[in-house]
Amino acid sequence: MTRFEYDDSDVVVVVGSGAGGGTVANELCQRGFRTVVLEAGPHLTGPDYHQDEWPAFAQMAWGDTRTTSGSWQVATDFPNLPAWLVKAVGGTTTHWAGACPRFKAHEFTARSTYGDVDGASLLDWPIALSELEPYYDKAEIKMGVTHRHGRPPLPANNNYKVFANGAEKLGYRYYSTGPYATNAEPYDGRPATLQDGFNFQGDKHGSKWSTLVAELPKAEKTGNLDLRPESHVAQIEHDAAGRATGVLYIDRNGTLRRQRAAVVVVAGNSIETPRLLLLSGSAQHPDGLANSSGQVGRNYMRHTTGTVWGQFDKPVRMWRGETMAGVIADESRLDTDRGFVGGYYMETISLGPAFLAKFIAPGRWGSHISDLLDGYRNTAGMWIVGEDMPRADNRITLSGDVTDQHGLPVANVHFDDHPNDVAMRTHGQRQGASVYKAVGAHKTIETPPYPSTHNLGTCRMSQRPRDGVVDRFGRAHDVPNLFVADGSVFTTGAAANPTLTIVALATRQAEYIATELAKTL
Amino acid sequence: MGSSLLSAQDRQTLVNVVYAAFPHSTFPRGPYERAADAVIAEAGNDPRFLAQLLQGLVDLDAQRDAPFAELDAETAGAVLRGADGAPFLTSIVNSAVVTLYSDPEVWDLLGYEGPSYDRGGYVDRGFDDLDWLPDPKIEFEEEVPAS
Repeated sequence: MTRFEYDDSDVVVVVGSGAGGGTVANELCQRGFRTVVLEAGPHLTGPDYHQDEWPAFAQMAWGDTRTTSGSWQVATDFPNLPAWLVKAVGGTTTHWAGACPRFKAHEFTARSTYGDVDGASLLDWPIALSELEPYYDKAEIKMGVTHRHGRPPLPANNNYKVFANGAEKLGYRYYSTGPYATNAEPYDGRPATLQDGFNFQGDKHGSKWSTLVAELPKAEKTGNLDLRPESHVAQIEHDAAGRATGVLYIDRNGTLRRQRAAVVVVAGNSIETPRLLLLSGSAQHPDGLANSSGQVGRNYMRHTTGTVWGQFDKPVRMWRGETMAGVIADESRLDTDRGFVGGYYMETISLGPAFLAKFIAPGRWGSHISDLLDGYRNTAGMWIVGEDMPRADNRITLSGDVTDQHGLPVANVHFDDHPNDVAMRTHGQRQGASVYKAVGAHKTIETPPYPSTHNLGTCRMSQRPRDGVVDRFGRAHDVPNLFVADGSVFTTGAAANPTLTIVALATRQAEYIATELAKTL
Repeated sequence: MGSSLLSAQDRQTLVNVVYAAFPHSTFPRGPYERAADAVIAEAGNDPRFLAQLLQGLVDLDAQRDAPFAELDAETAGAVLRGADGAPFLTSIVNSAVVTLYSDPEVWDLLGYEGPSYDRGGYVDRGFDDLDWLPDPKIEFEEEVPAS
C-alpha cells in the first residue's frame, strides 16, 4: 500500500473515486504521476455486497442528509434523498447498471440545434463529437463494452425478450442488448457475468466494469496510488496567486488533515462537487472557489426519467440476468416534431419486490399496490431516460441551516421540471406502454422518477468563462491547477446514460493534465 | 424492544392495519405479524411515534361499532383510507412496505427468488427461459443520423 506524505506538494489529489475520479487517477498513475485519491466512503468489495435491496442501500448509498426544493416530485416523495448515489470506493460505478450509449453529434450543439428554448439555459459544448470519438474508443475498450471493438453482445434475458418483441411489433428498429459494460465473456482479467441480477447492489462477481474492480486495482499496481477511504474533503485551499495548494479533509478518525497538491481534481458527482467548491470560498473567491461566473451549482440536470411496467398472463421473471442489458434507441433520434426537443432511450429495468413496492407509487398503499405486487412474477420493466433542459435556477446551493455530521452545510437540490421534460416523459411513458401492450400486457403502470441517478451539469464546460465553470478540458476557468472530472462538467445532458462519456472525458483530461504537469515539474 | 404500553390486543390491531394497507389474500398471517413487530420495534425507539401509534390505534377502533381488528377486509380498508395521511399511519406504512416485501416468505409467495449469487446466478438457471415469445435479435445497429 503506497502512502505519500501530507506535505508532498507534487502529488495530484483526486477527490472521489467513481467514474471520473477513478479513471483520472488510473490514467495519471499509469503515466507515473503520484496520486492521492480521497474517497468519502468505505472500501467495500464483492464479498461485502448484499443481494437484498434495503440492506444494500443502507450499505452503499450516500445517505448523508441533503435537502430539496422546487416543483419536482422527488422533493415530495423523497425530500432528503434527491439522488441515489454511492458513498464507497468506486463511487456510483458500483451501482450503475452498465448501459453505454455514446452522445450524438447534435447533442454537443444543443443550443444551436434546438434554438432558444424558453426557460432553458442551453449552451453548445466547447468540444465536438469528433474530438471525443478517440476517447470513446479508449473508454469502450477500457470498459469492455459489449457490441463494440469485437466484444460479443450479451444474450437476451427474459425481460429483454418481452421488451424487444414489443419493440419489433411497434415498428422500432434500433433495439439490442447493448452496448453494455459487463462481460459477456471473460475480459481484462474479469469473469463473464453469471446473469445473477442485482446490478444496482454492487457486483459480487466483478464482471461489470467499475473503478473498484478495474481502474483502481490497476492504478494500485503502479505503486503511484495512495487510496484513502473514509476521507471527506471539507475545503480546497489556494494561495495568493490563485493556485490550488491542497485540500483539508476529515479522516476516518475525525481528524482534520491537510494534503498538499500540485493539482486538485474534483470528482464528487454533481451534487458534492459544487458543494465542495461553494464550501471553499475565500476572500479571493467570495462566492465559492472557481465561481466568478456565478455558475457553480447552476444548470443542474437529472435526465428526464420515468418507468413503465407491463404485466402479463405468463411469467417474465425480470429479476434474472443483467438488469439493463436492453435498449431501444429509436426515440433518441433528432426529431423536434414530437412536441419536445431532445431524445430519449428506453432501457430494461428490474426491481425486486421490496423496491418495487416502495417506488411504484411512492407513499401510496392499498389494494392497488398489493394487486400489482401479486403480479410480480409476470412483470416486465423499462426505464425512460432522456435529455432534460438545463435551467439556471435548477441548482445546488448550501443549506442555510442543515449541517452534516462534520458540521458542514449540506447541499440543497432545487429542481423545477421544464415543460419540455414533462412532454418528453409523457411521450416516453405512452410509447413504453405501447411496447408492452403490443405483446399482450393486460396492465401497464407508470412510475414517477426515482431519486436521481444521473446528476449532471453543475460545473458546466464552456468556451467563455462567464458561461460556465470549466474549460474544454475540465480545467476551472478561474484556477489553473483545479480540474473537475465528473458529470458536473456536462454542458448539456444528452440522452445517453452518462458514465461512458464521463470516462471518455476523464481519460482525455488525464492526458491533458499529464502534458501540462510535465511542463511545470 | 416493544413498549409495555402496547397491549397484545394493540399488536393484533396493528397486524390487521398492515394487512389492510397491503392486502394479499394468499398470504398467511406470519409476514404481517413480522411487519407489525418491526413497527413496534421502531416505535420503541421513537417516543413521538409511539405516542402517535397508541392514539392512532384507539382512533381506528372508534370508527365503527366494532373494533378495527373485528372488521371485515372491505370495511377495514375503508376505515384505513379514511386515516390516510395521519402521521401514525404514514409511519406504519413506510415501515411495513420495507419489512413486508423484504420478507423471504413473501418473496416465495410472489415467486421471487431472492439472492442468486451463491447459487451461481441464473446463467444456467433460466435467465432466458421465457418461451411464450420468439427469440428476438440482439445485435446493435448504429442509428442512421437524421438527414
